[in-house]
Amino acid sequence: MKFEAQEIQTLSQNFQTRSPQEILEMAFDTVVDVAISFSGAEDVVLVDMASKITKDFRVFTLDTGRLHAETYQFLDKVRQKYGVSIEAQFPRAEDVEALLAEKGFFSFYQDDHKECCGIRKVGPLRNKLATLDGWITGQRRDQSPGTRTDIPVVQIDQAFSRSDNTLLKFNPLSMWSSEQVWAYIRQNDVPYNALHEKGFTSIGCEPCTRPVLPNQHEREGRWWWEEATAKECGLHAAANAPTLK
Amino acid sequence: MKITYVKKIKADGSPCKKCAEVTERLENADQMKFIDEVVIADERDPGSLGMIIARDLAVERAPFFVVEKDDGDTVVYTVYFKFVKEVLNQQADDKQANKDILEQNDLDFL
Repeated sequence: MKFEAQEIQTLSQNFQTRSPQEILEMAFDTVVDVAISFSGAEDVVLVDMASKITKDFRVFTLDTGRLHAETYQFLDKVRQKYGVSIEAQFPRAEDVEALLAEKGFFSFYQDDHKECCGIRKVGPLRNKLATLDGWITGQRRDQSPGTRTDIPVVQIDQAFSRSDNTLLKFNPLSMWSSEQVWAYIRQNDVPYNALHEKGFTSIGCEPCTRPVLPNQHEREGRWWWEEATAKECGLHAAANAPTLK
Repeated sequence: MKITYVKKIKADGSPCKKCAEVTERLENADQMKFIDEVVIADERDPGSLGMIIARDLAVERAPFFVVEKDDGDTVVYTVYFKFVKEVLNQQADDKQANKDILEQNDLDFL
């Protein structure tokens, strides 16, 4: 499918103040091959919401091979509760083998997490997204204040679009806070990852995730050994100039 | 087909590191000959051609490539290795492409 940038920007603006459920419905109505990206954390709310909209929705997860046992247990709990098949994407065995042979099992502590994440997450994600017209994420603006302050509810995913197909990325929780997500989980009796009860806020691979202390930002529980450097690839118009969006 | 390469000048006037890296890759691989136009997105000047193109095409990252096909279709590439593979039909290093995608996109939520 092909979409124009203007068309998607307008769609995003029109849905900016709508509920996550309405944005999910819009996603299902806009593209046929669309799936929820489920990390095994709070994004479970998307699965719960989708199950109340349709029985015919898809969920995929990236099984990096380094997830916590609790996360695997949770993925299976969700599979059973919602009767949905969780499509697991795996890294290419030869890529993992080559990395381990060359650098061992914990190279990310010496280098950084990009090489390992590239193999274990991005490669499988690229493979999955090549089969879809759209994906639905649990990204929220409050997760990483520096880089996610302007997440639209729907956008063209230029990193993963193909020359013959425009991939759309839907972010129904973009405008929600962590508090709203957890209020939804409690009010709707949604299952959650047991790691949350152990102080984990953001949940990723086991070696790269740790619990955070009260009032620590959730991102401090990921790749904490790496120096936080400002991302410079974004295009930012000068102050008082019109923004790009 | 027309290929436009858009690179950025940061708000403080310095060139962006990633743009310099991509330009070097293009030059080393003798791929600059495929680029029809190089355009600057100057963050200090919202009226600069690169900023206008970025705004029109809803591009949030630089550098990027705009490929205008003969049938009128326009495709944006924000990942150099994807551009090389799909447009120039040359071999691309998947491992490096994955790292590039990580560096240029916020995928920490995964």
